[in-house]
Amino acid sequence: VSDSLDAPVARALAELRRPLRLDAALDARIMAAVAAEPVPRARPDRARALWVWLARPRTLRLSPLAGLAAAAGVAVLAWWHPWTPPVGDTPAPAQVQFVFVDAGAATVAVVGDFNDWDPGASPLSRAQPGSLWVVTIPLVPGRHRYAFVVDGRRWMPDPGAPRAVGDDFDTPSSVVTVGGDS
Amino acid sequence: VTRALLIALWATAPLAAQAGDPRLSRLDPAVRPAVVALVDSARAAGLPVEPLVQRALEGTSKGASPDRILAAVRRLTRDLGAARAALGAATAPEIDAGAAALHSGARPADLAALRARRPRQSLVVPLGVLADLVATGVPPDTAAAAVLALAATTPDAEYLVFRRNVERDIALGAPPAAAAAVRSTGATADMTPRP
Repeated sequence: VSDSLDAPVARALAELRRPLRLDAALDARIMAAVAAEPVPRARPDRARALWVWLARPRTLRLSPLAGLAAAAGVAVLAWWHPWTPPVGDTPAPAQVQFVFVDAGAATVAVVGDFNDWDPGASPLSRAQPGSLWVVTIPLVPGRHRYAFVVDGRRWMPDPGAPRAVGDDFDTPSSVVTVGGDS
Repeated sequence: VTRALLIALWATAPLAAQAGDPRLSRLDPAVRPAVVALVDSARAAGLPVEPLVQRALEGTSKGASPDRILAAVRRLTRDLGAARAALGAATAPEIDAGAAALHSGARPADLAALRARRPRQSLVVPLGVLADLVATGVPPDTAAAAVLALAATTPDAEYLVFRRNVERDIALGAPPAAAAAVRSTGATADMTPRP
């Protein structure tokens, strides 16, 4: 490097080495400018927002009177809500024909654990003309207890079917077994 | 406040439980709470409750006294529990049929042996035939032996044919034990594959 360049280079170096004095309010101005910029937001996730709303613990303030009213409401709902038997993997029912012979009967019904032992649920029809009474009922596989009710008051087991074990009520019942496989 | 709410819920819980099955409203009020409690206990124990409801309805429709209805439901609950214990994994109809078989005089070991011989087939018909045979006068040991002898190979339809044959033989005058033994031997021979 020639001597003619030493002086400018030395001045430039000296200038570069000089400490830079910054404005004391620079940081504050920069942060204010950043804060003024709009913050980019992600698209609202409604499911997440709902979950957060549902999962956030809350404190409920309830008077004893309101608590009693709520409990009474639960009891009333339980009382009046239509109840349905539990449904499992119910196998397909089989059509089972019930036959009863009585020429003198005015009415014959079959009652059993397939119709809640309701004498009005499954009346038999008389096969005209004669003494034969018949009804066909779909039954799911299983063992079903039943009996006939003649003229609304006389209980009769089925003479053509096995008697049910455990006659707990001094009125014998019969049993029909519906198989579920081959 | 929380305590008041809990007390109120506790106080009304019996009402809600009693309302579980509206069919039980047909029962005499004197026996209804006890039957509802038995049904709830059975449900909590994993037992099928429909047979209990039906037994209570049967007694009610037949005009039985509350005491007899309660005794019948209580006994059936015990039989269902014993049948479930003997059968292991079983469907509700199997447990119901097993309870009938036990009540007829079969032993829990008979039910367990039947399950062992038919591990993948329904036991409803074999158990029902076992109970039916005893009801027609076949001694429980003989009936159980006959049903077990057929268990490995006999389909449901053949079980029902076997039962009808035994009943016919008894109606014609054969001793029940002999009828069951002879028909069992014949049915077993029928089901044995021939060369």
